[in-house]
Amino acid sequence: MLCEDIELVLKDGAISQAKNLCRKGYGHFQALFIERTRPMIDGREVSLDQAISKAAEILKSAKSPLLYGWSNSSLEAQAAGIDLARRLGATIDDTSSFCQGILMELVLTGKVPTCTLDDVRNYADTSVFWGADPSNSHPRHLSRFAYYPRGEKRQKSYEEERICIAVDVRKSAMARLCSNYYFRVPPGQDAEFIESILAVLDGKIPRFGDKKRMIELGSVLKKTEYGVIFPGLGLVHSLQEKMDLLVGLVAKLNEITTFMVLPMVGHCNMRGFNQLLLDETGFINRVSFQGKTAVHGPEQSVMAAAKSCDAALVIGSDPVSALPFGTARALAKTSLIAIDPRRSLTTDAAKVVIPSAMYGLEAGGTSLRLDGVKIEFEPFFKSEHLSDEQILARIKEAI
Amino acid sequence: MVSAMEIYQLLPREACKECGYASCMALAVALLTREKKLEDCPSLLNPKYLEKFTKLKELLAPLEKASETGLIIHPEKCFGCGNCVVACPVNVAAEPTRCAVGLGPQGDRVILAVEDGVVKCMNIKECKRFGPDRVLCNACTVTCPSQAIEFV
Amino acid sequence: MEAEVTIVAFQDIFQNEARKKGIYTDEYRQLSAQIILDKQDITRLGVKDGQRISVKNEVGGVVVAAKISDDDPHPGLAFMINSPWFNQLVRDDVCDTSIPGFKRIAARVSPSEENVTQISEILQRMRA
Repeated sequence: MLCEDIELVLKDGAISQAKNLCRKGYGHFQALFIERTRPMIDGREVSLDQAISKAAEILKSAKSPLLYGWSNSSLEAQAAGIDLARRLGATIDDTSSFCQGILMELVLTGKVPTCTLDDVRNYADTSVFWGADPSNSHPRHLSRFAYYPRGEKRQKSYEEERICIAVDVRKSAMARLCSNYYFRVPPGQDAEFIESILAVLDGKIPRFGDKKRMIELGSVLKKTEYGVIFPGLGLVHSLQEKMDLLVGLVAKLNEITTFMVLPMVGHCNMRGFNQLLLDETGFINRVSFQGKTAVHGPEQSVMAAAKSCDAALVIGSDPVSALPFGTARALAKTSLIAIDPRRSLTTDAAKVVIPSAMYGLEAGGTSLRLDGVKIEFEPFFKSEHLSDEQILARIKEAI
Repeated sequence: MVSAMEIYQLLPREACKECGYASCMALAVALLTREKKLEDCPSLLNPKYLEKFTKLKELLAPLEKASETGLIIHPEKCFGCGNCVVACPVNVAAEPTRCAVGLGPQGDRVILAVEDGVVKCMNIKECKRFGPDRVLCNACTVTCPSQAIEFV
Repeated sequence: MEAEVTIVAFQDIFQNEARKKGIYTDEYRQLSAQIILDKQDITRLGVKDGQRISVKNEVGGVVVAAKISDDDPHPGLAFMINSPWFNQLVRDDVCDTSIPGFKRIAARVSPSEENVTQISEILQRMRA
């Protein structure tokens, strides 16, 4: 959520008090001091210069390198990464590829209407969390924007002027807060659920779900003044290639009233990368610069490229933990370079490890919040480590 | 949370009235509201009731952590989400440019604030559930995703 | 006793916190290597809360701890936190959308005598 009201008291090089950080944020800040990486080649500690040289050597001699990660790096580092990919004729991809990519593309290209989180706080009277559990993934979402705070047009807030609807396969922590506005949809049946909503919006009998509740949902949506749908991975993975069903629903809702869409992005600057790459190549992810023009497609996704590449640079991400077994194994077996502030399965599997400063805490830069708002970070903690940007510049130099 | 009935069933129920209450059930309620302590029941202090005494002590232990308004926080369950901080009417009134609009408090006249990842409670006397004009406000408990805040 | 279940992945703030403290910690393993099963399925399998369960499919297998669900009944549906344990079971086919079946996979579950899979084992499988 890139919260800007965090207050810290630093004492003797540690955080002695932190205000307003949720449990997730606090854990992230504490990680400053836990299992920091050291420069390594083949499991042996080396000097930073040696690690960077080796990384440059690997990338230079690779025929089809893959540059992956990016979602936790600053815009400045991402731009450097895209530039590096061009120079190397590499394939570049980020976490959106298996995460919110499909939806992000619709948002960034204007195929679905969107707004800012501040708009949500000021105007939204209905928020729909679909396949998302912000209480666990974005803990301060409800208290800062969607449900509990007062806004310009929502001075009476959750008590009288706001409702939250949860659509999910399970009664998540978020769903428990929605009480009778929680709709349970079995896995993979979101298309049917959307069909039923469209039916009630047209005054027809819905075929799926409890008829009375669906009709009630329809009337709530119709009475909404400013609605926002927040799709999470649950919905994106359920619909996949059928995302046009969601587009259709949003279009229908906008015939009746105002409804926006905001993707529940899990990484601090995934939107930044998608926007940058879109501006440069016309695609939000999965681009190969091997030929003269940028090529985009499933073969350029990390899922495919992990197997077809002969070297991979992973920055600020842990795909060996987060990707399916086959993909993770392919990455672990290739000439893997990991740039990361902290130890992970990816750094443990990597041939070369380059320690970096923690973005936002030790290194500054700019991010795009999930709603596109630019957030500038000023580092508050001194570190000996280089920022992502600086490391990429040195690799570029060595190449 | 333990109930008055559960407490009653563990009391000796000798109806001796030495605690000052007309019935053992009344004492059970008083133990729950902490107007009385277990030691105020002379019958219970008899060694033959040691097992019941121990069990009662165990059941009533969480209450000892509760504040005067009966607010208990379980920090190990807390998400640090700030829902309670933003929903609390006292917080909102004290910080109209901060808590009211979703931000953390700046001053110290609030009841709830998130520190080190979890919620902390302070100035409990400002809580609307306290004092002669008390109301049954439950903003903090109904907005908690993990039942980390509850009232006794 | 074996059962077929559909497993859906989800996120948990406490497991996330444990991950930040270290992926080789007991806490991270305890919070990640779990499968939440409906009461009916737990009874059918003849297991108790906390007992070890083998979860297998054509991709791979892990041993995790069973946890009884406190949700409304959902027989045949299980939940695991998105973690390296869960990803041992996720297919990596490249299809048009290239999105792995993260949210919904099929697997067979049965009681197990083996120890809960360690993350170091998972890393070893990557290198094999």
